[in-house]
Amino acid sequence: MNAFSPAPNTQVWPLIGGVEPKENKQQSNGLSIGYLPLPPFLVLPVNQHIGVAAEPLVAVGDQVLKGQLIASSSGKISACLHAPTSGKVVAIEPRPVPHASGLDSLAIIIEPDQQDQWREQEPWPNWQQRSSEELLARLSESGIVGLGGAGFPTASKLSIDQQIHTLVVNGTECEPYITADDLIMRERAAQILAGVAIMAKLLQVKQVLIGIEDNKPEAIAAMRAALEHYQGPEAVIKTFPTKYPSGGEKQLIWILTGQEVPSGRLPADLGMVCVNVGTAAAVQQCIVDDHPLISRITTLTGQVLAQPRNYELLIGTPIVWLLAQLGVTQAERIIMGGPMMGEPLANPQSPVVKTCNCLLLPTQQELPLPPSASPCIRCGFCDDVCPASLLPQQLYYHARSRNLEGLAQQHLFDCIECGACAYVCPSSIPLVQYYRYGKGEIRQEQQQQAKSERAKVRFENRQARLAQESAEKEAKRKARAEAAAKAQAAKAAGDNSAIDQVIKAAQAKSAAAAATKAEGPDLEALKSAVEQAKNKLMMAEERLAKAEQEMPENAAAFRTARDKFAEKLAKAEANWQKAQQETKT
Amino acid sequence: MNALKNFMHKIEPNFMPGGKHEKWYALFEAVDTILYSPKDTTYSTSHVRDGIDLKRLMITVWLMTFPAMFFGMWNIGYQANMAIAGGLEMGTGWRETMIALFAGNNPASLWDNFWYGFWHFMPLYAVVFAVGGFWEVLFAIVRKHEVNEGFFVTSVLFTLILPATTPLWIAALGISFGVVFAKEIFGGTGKNFLNPALSGRAFLYFAYPAYLSGDAVWTAVDGFSGATALSVAFDQGVINGMIGDISWMQAFLGVIQGSMGETSTLAIMLGGAVLLLMGIASWRIVLGVFLGMVAASLLFNVIGSDTNPMFALPWYWHLVIGGFAFGMFFMATDPVSASMTNMGKYYFGALIGVMTVLIRVVNPAFPEGIMLAILFANLFAPLIDYSVVRANIKRRLARVSA
Repeated sequence: MNAFSPAPNTQVWPLIGGVEPKENKQQSNGLSIGYLPLPPFLVLPVNQHIGVAAEPLVAVGDQVLKGQLIASSSGKISACLHAPTSGKVVAIEPRPVPHASGLDSLAIIIEPDQQDQWREQEPWPNWQQRSSEELLARLSESGIVGLGGAGFPTASKLSIDQQIHTLVVNGTECEPYITADDLIMRERAAQILAGVAIMAKLLQVKQVLIGIEDNKPEAIAAMRAALEHYQGPEAVIKTFPTKYPSGGEKQLIWILTGQEVPSGRLPADLGMVCVNVGTAAAVQQCIVDDHPLISRITTLTGQVLAQPRNYELLIGTPIVWLLAQLGVTQAERIIMGGPMMGEPLANPQSPVVKTCNCLLLPTQQELPLPPSASPCIRCGFCDDVCPASLLPQQLYYHARSRNLEGLAQQHLFDCIECGACAYVCPSSIPLVQYYRYGKGEIRQEQQQQAKSERAKVRFENRQARLAQESAEKEAKRKARAEAAAKAQAAKAAGDNSAIDQVIKAAQAKSAAAAATKAEGPDLEALKSAVEQAKNKLMMAEERLAKAEQEMPENAAAFRTARDKFAEKLAKAEANWQKAQQETKT
Repeated sequence: MNALKNFMHKIEPNFMPGGKHEKWYALFEAVDTILYSPKDTTYSTSHVRDGIDLKRLMITVWLMTFPAMFFGMWNIGYQANMAIAGGLEMGTGWRETMIALFAGNNPASLWDNFWYGFWHFMPLYAVVFAVGGFWEVLFAIVRKHEVNEGFFVTSVLFTLILPATTPLWIAALGISFGVVFAKEIFGGTGKNFLNPALSGRAFLYFAYPAYLSGDAVWTAVDGFSGATALSVAFDQGVINGMIGDISWMQAFLGVIQGSMGETSTLAIMLGGAVLLLMGIASWRIVLGVFLGMVAASLLFNVIGSDTNPMFALPWYWHLVIGGFAFGMFFMATDPVSASMTNMGKYYFGALIGVMTVLIRVVNPAFPEGIMLAILFANLFAPLIDYSVVRANIKRRLARVSA
């Protein structure tokens, strides 16, 4: 930036709603990022991201090297998995994973050989000379997912079809207690900006907006300093007041640009893509150092720990081992994520996964369990804090009475589950649980609808087939009956020469065939079939449109149904036209 | 205190499922929760929580009625002792026996006045609390849920809007109607669409007008008769800045006749201000009520009337007479029966303010308007919210398509 360029626009828009819980960040951000020794074994679940699980490429007993691909992505939205260290695959079996369901999930278990030996690496220090295709290919092999918490595969995000003009870099970290992004920005600002430059090149953006909450002055200073050496499209660091949940993707875009992502749409529809600072650093490591995602920065905090701190942890590190290293043998509660959106860990045997930004171990005094829920008194505190401008209490009433239509009307799917409403609720109603329940119910309902749609198509096809078969049979039966009657008549006439009979039978057969043909297609029936098919197609179109609006992920089933109906209509129309021509000639 | 805690712990198993007093769990839980914080907890998504909870909220509202309540007790005594000083005899009932036991009838004595009022307010409050509490607990037992602190608020609000001479059985009837028919049959706390305290009061007003309206009910001395400021205003209007022999300042301070807790606008504002500052009462509603009232009374001032002096009553008089201030701060702001959207709260409040003045001025049958105005607005609250939401959607759609 030269001295004559205009001052960058650092205007920000205030967050809609939001709450200001106690930050509790100073406990863990005083020390630099720490490291731990290699754990005795690593548990690597094949699904640590949003989308389809990865396919294991290794077998039990295989030797693997550090950074070696051990499970490959399958499908468009999926992510690869790499060995975090060299060692031996000792098992591929279901293991406890950090998921709200508490169910086990398939994982690859590696026993380190303590050599920590890398696979062959090909660093690209001059990545600028590489083509976008090459960069993207490496990224999609890297296993990088959004490290802010959602875990959306980054390569899928960067290979988007839409025209993107702005890259939003999320250094907000609005959740209390968590300081992982803070520390990354302080210690690895240059890396982050290099990653930003790579992504900016891939997306061909015009500008980069970096958003950081004003409670991280050291991180802001480090990023500003690193920006001096940054090379890429115009980048602006915008700071804004600390308020939860400023770090939500849609919220951050509002704060930085004053634009709202419409309901049911993505930032890409506004020409923007949003990535976390940790993700940017991982992208740099992947491209420049050929270093796939095998570790992440996780905040370990809470009063149970003697020294809260951020650690760079290998993916797959068993949490129970990790805590033992820090002198914690028993923890009443382990929350994965922050105090607002985090989930209590069902099983401490679970490993650290790619989306694990924080492990919070609070004492009962520090974060007391809330009292039992009381009735809603419609105080409206939740309405004031909702960052999505929804009416949480209306959603609550509808969810409670399982009024799915009401939930859809109140735009339940715009809820980002930030928990601000539950934070202020004086009746301590677990509101977000109600919303999750509502979302689940709606999804299930739509899946069932899609299923019944498919079944309906199948059933109708079968009915049509049966009707056709029975019509053919009937025609044949008629012809046979006529032939038999003629034969009878001939017999009565007394002509019973054997040769004659043979000739008659042959004649009857051909007559039957002719009869089927002569009877011809029933024009009326065919026409009504066309009408029916048209109606059905229309209905299918309607259902598809509705599904696309309300539940895009289930729309595919409706689309197949619609296509089937369209096919049927085409067939019916062809039949009808053919029949029409035949009757004309 | 420890002994009590130990005792509660000791008897607790009896009330748990399988215990011998299992069906009284709701009652046990209510007592236990009032004394100590409950031990049952919810796992909610947010592991941190804001400081405010339902219990604290309700208790705060209850506490903030205390200025009006204590002033009311003093004023009951003051009004009565003034009447007695004017030549009337104090009655001979059990109340009077208790009053005479510890205090005299000197209207200048703080203690005499307070003690006199105490024996009129407290028996009513005790009856209301006991009868209303009975219904609450009964419904809680049948429905198997906990008794809610909301009842603290309902009972005190209901008592404060009764005249001091209300017979105990009428008070019992009123709170029963309010709790059962305005609240519990709709599902209890949070599900009522009318304010329970006001519903009970309205029921009494129409069912037993002789006990709750007229000129004889306001001062707790047998044989005393005197019109309230509102009915005097209705007859004569404001003459030389006075309604009858009441100055504006007297009405603002509350040394006038009226329902027990409604007379002092000052005392009500003290409590109300705390509720506003703490965010418990919605300032939007209070502002709406106030502005609605001002607008409507200015309108009537402009229209004017030769036959109805109420047309000319200025807004600052509307503010201090009748139950306006109490209704504005404590009744209209009941979140359960009010509008919930921010925009809707203004409309909801304004509707109350306008309706209050409308009823006061042009409806000769009812001197007091705010009770009916609030109940009326309660009915409209969901409609207001619905319209606000629709309007929001429309506006946002217009913005997107523009």
